[in-house]
Order: sequence, then C-alpha cells, then structure tokens
Amino acid sequence: MRGTLLYVGQRLILIAITTILVSSIVFLLLHQIPGNAFLNETRQSPQTLAAELHHYGLDLPLHTQYFNWVQGVLHGDLGESLVNRGVKITPLLIRETSVSATVGFFALLVTIGLGLILGVIAALRQNTWVDYVASSAAVVGYSIPSFVLAIFGLLIFGHYLYDWTQGTIYYSPGFTSPLTQVEVPALALGLPYASYVARLTRASMLETIRTDYVRTAWAKGLKARVVVIRHALRNALIPVVTILGPLTTGIITGSVVIENIFGIPGLGKEFITSILARDYNIVIGVFTFYAALVGLANLTVDVIYPVLDPRIRY
Amino acid sequence: MAQAAPVIQPDLELAYEMPEQATLLTDAWRRIRRNRLALVGMVIIGILFVTAAISIVWTPYPTWLQAVGPTYQPPSLGHPLGLDQAGRDILSRIMGGALITVEVGVGSAMIVSLIGIPLGLLAGFYRGTVDTIISFFINIWYGIPDLLVALILVFVLSDALHLIPRGVFVIIIAFSLTRWMDVARLVRGQTLALREREFVEAARMSGARDFALLFRHIFPNALGPIIVQATFAIPAAVLFEAFLSFLGLGLPSPTPSWGAMAADGYHGMDFAPHIVLAPTIALSITLMAFNWVGDGLRDAFDPRMRR
Repeated sequence: MRGTLLYVGQRLILIAITTILVSSIVFLLLHQIPGNAFLNETRQSPQTLAAELHHYGLDLPLHTQYFNWVQGVLHGDLGESLVNRGVKITPLLIRETSVSATVGFFALLVTIGLGLILGVIAALRQNTWVDYVASSAAVVGYSIPSFVLAIFGLLIFGHYLYDWTQGTIYYSPGFTSPLTQVEVPALALGLPYASYVARLTRASMLETIRTDYVRTAWAKGLKARVVVIRHALRNALIPVVTILGPLTTGIITGSVVIENIFGIPGLGKEFITSILARDYNIVIGVFTFYAALVGLANLTVDVIYPVLDPRIRY
Repeated sequence: MAQAAPVIQPDLELAYEMPEQATLLTDAWRRIRRNRLALVGMVIIGILFVTAAISIVWTPYPTWLQAVGPTYQPPSLGHPLGLDQAGRDILSRIMGGALITVEVGVGSAMIVSLIGIPLGLLAGFYRGTVDTIISFFINIWYGIPDLLVALILVFVLSDALHLIPRGVFVIIIAFSLTRWMDVARLVRGQTLALREREFVEAARMSGARDFALLFRHIFPNALGPIIVQATFAIPAAVLFEAFLSFLGLGLPSPTPSWGAMAADGYHGMDFAPHIVLAPTIALSITLMAFNWVGDGLRDAFDPRMRR
C-alpha cells in the first residue's frame, strides 16, 4: 500500500512536470504567431491597443511573459480570456471539464461495456454465426471514425427519427437530464473503440478459456457464470487494460470533434472556438487541461492494473 | 516466481518449414494471399490509387467549378453523386479528394518512417545516453494528446512561416512531428533484440562498421514490423487530415478534402444528406481498407502471431 502511494506520488509529480513542459511548448509556439486577438476588423486607436496589450502583459518581453505564465499555472491561474475581457480561464475550464467528463464517462461505458460483452460472447460462441456477426461488426466498426458516426447518428436520430426523439440530441448539463441527450454523442465517441476492445477481448478470451485452470474450474462443476467471469474474464482482461490508457487519450481527443458536431459546451468546443477566435490564452489553458487529464487517465489505468494482475506491484 | 526456471523454447525457425528461395516479401505475399479481408482491402486501395491518378489529369468537372447545376441537387444521371451547396459536382470532388488522401497518407507514412527509423536504430544500437534521450522524448509524447499538438502545429506552421501555405505539406509535417514515436519505439525494440543475434555478431567480427551493421544487417531484419507500422500510419494520417478539415482548420475551401466536404454537407444534412454521405462513406471505406491490409500484413510478417 505504501509502495503504491509512493508510486502515485511520483507519477503525479511527473505528470505535473510533463504538463507544464508540453504546455510550455504550446505557449512558445503560439507566441510565435504574428498578430493577436485584438487585430480584427474593428478599428482601434493605438492607445486602446496599447492599453489592451498592457492589460494582458503582452507588451512585456517573451521570457517575462513566460515566467509569469508558469507562475500562474503553478498557482492554478491560467489567466484571462483575450476575447472576452475579464473572463477568468480556470473556472471556465473547470465547468467545461465537468461537461466533457459526463460525455466521456458514457463513451467509456459504451467502449468497455459493449466491447467486453461482444468480445466475451464472440469468444464463447467461437465459429458460430454470433461470433461472425460480432467479429465483422468489430472489423468494420473500428475503421469508421467517430465524427462520421456522429454525423450518421445526427442524421438518423435527429432527422429520420425526429418524431420519436423530438430532436433531443443536444446536451443539457448534469446527470438529471434524460439520457437521450448524452447517448448519441457517447455512442459515436465510444463505438470505434468498443470494436477495438471487442476484438482484443475476443482474442485474449480465446486464449484464456483454453488454459488448464479454466478446464479445472469447469471440471470442478462451477457454474458457467463463475467460470467465465471470475476465472476466464479476469485474466483475459489484462491485455485489455493495457490499451485503456491510449484509449482514454483517444476518447479525450475524439471529444474535440464530437463536441463541435453536437454543440456540447465542453472543453473540445472551447478549444476549436478559441483557436478560430485566436484566443490563445484559452487555447493554452485548454491544452494544459488536456495534458493533465491524459496524464491522470493513464495514471488511473496503471493503478487499476495491479488489482487485476497481482503479479504487478509498485 | 522470483527465480523462473529456464524454459526450453521450441525452435520455431526449425519447426517452420521454409519454402525454397522465399524472400521476406514473397513469403509475406504467400501468406497474405490467403487473407480474404486483406485482399479486399488491397483491391480498394488499388481503386483509390487509380482514382487519385486519374483525378490528376481528368475529373468529370473541375473540382472547384461552382454552379454546374442547381445547388443541393440529389444524385442524377448527369451527376452520379449529386451537387453540393455551391453546385459543385460531388463525384469530381470525391475523385480529387482521393488524391489528397493518397498524398497525406503516403507522405505521412514516409516522413514518419524517415524520422522514426533512424532514431529507433540509434537508440537501440548505441543504448546509453542516446537511448535515454530518445526514450525520454518517446515517453513524454506518449503521455500527451498528440492529435491536439499536431492541430496546434498545423496552425502555427501555416501562420508563422509564411513560406508554407496551409496545404497538404503542413498537415503531413505536423502529423509526422507528433507521430514518429510509434515507429521509433518499434524500431528501437527490434534493434535491441537484433543487435545481440549471432549474425550481427558475425558481421561485427568480420569488421563491418556500425553504419553497415545498422543498415545492412539490422534494418533489413526489422523491415517486416516497420512496414506494418507504416501501413497503420496511413489511415491515422488520413483521419487526421479529415478531422482537421472537418473542423475548418485543415485545407482551405476549394480543396476537395473529404473532411471539408463532410463539413460542407453537414449544414444541409436534413434536406440534402447526399452531400455529407458521399465523403464520409468514401473516407470510412478507405480507412477500413488500410486497416484490413495492415492487419493482414501484421499476420503475414509474423507467422508466430497466427493461431
């Protein structure tokens, strides 16, 4: 237990360093771009422009700006929006993260739930029509990008089935709202990865159900449910868990386009809106959030790992 | 399991009967021929390449030409895939999009390999400090959302360096700069294993220089997995381009990118779904084909993976 805590502590420090390092690259890159958010079609007097630049500290030399920014990040302050003056970025992004997290959570549920169920069933019924249907669905589903699924979902549920759904595929915050509003985005986001998980689960289940200890479990006369879930699946899960890290990264980056298609007010929508509006402070802020989220997601996976596989200890 | 008992590994090279005079490629071809999905994938990729080649010299209408008929016109005999919101022929634009797709996919796969292979070889062969530095970068990049870095890179490269207009080249560079780690990590692992093998030792004994060792002896033996990795880089790059163009951050408007075409049709989806369906289906089929071929190649190059 102490070892685990120590390990988590070390990793947290590493995540913080990585996050700041990577965000620094983005910070420096974005400050190389000529022009800024204040250069737009509305005419400004030089005095106003200078005042604006001064307000955001953009008139300071780059290294001072960078130093101030790092200091801000360390204090949890990501600065102020360039476009909407006075809007603090940190609280804005925290609110948007909770929106993105809701969709991401359901997408992960789709990915793991559907993927595991399909994979296990296909493996248990190997070489039957069930297996062929599940396997072909997985082979096709893996290659359809989530934004294409989102478009199809919008077309089917928002247009062709309008009478049934009443077009309720928009997002409203919180878990209290009817599920239909998160379902379609979560499905679009999770299905490609669910296919991947299903393929992986099927392959590793096929290997596990042929091992001696599973045969012993059957021979002991254990119930099918116990053999499959407690003996076979638990060990078959190990290779599946290894891809959970990259998978979560995929869902987080995938949410950028999904949120833009469905108009979900989360981090991803903010990211693209801010890039197009040249609100670099928010772009850097969202990026910092994403880097930290990906790091934390990977850490969570690594912490779950020893639970499934006791041979691994930290 | 502190001290694992030495397990006698069956010699797979002996157990596997080598056909006469089988080179890496002919051997792989012999196995991939039996993989139906991979064959279908290859045919689709073949069609894609031919379409791309044809679109250089001929498309039914110029891809940028507007108002060749009524806007939003559904598929008809004259325009098999219909017209888009600006009255452009969608079939022509799909053909032009095939060229963009091929350029982005193949270009990215090449540049990713060009960066990843040497770095992986160096890290695996010299180990020590070189390896530490390269592995540090690989590990850092694995922990970040690389797609978003690439997105920012496209933006920065096209805006900061006025030499490069925002085109296919910028997208390829941005993608490659954030995705070379996959290849580098793979090559590093292969090199680490191969450099201990007897044939490398023998070559070293007969006085081969490091350069010859790396490129004449180690690299050819790692070629199979590298080809597989490069094949998987193609759909990833194609998807990245579509993703960018769909969000309006990719190729500029008249360029017939499938992602941008999907974004065009997205707004008129409820009354003219053909505009959005054509490019998204084309994109999905292309990605599928590359993934199937990649899977087939992986099985073909690694006979031990087969069940």
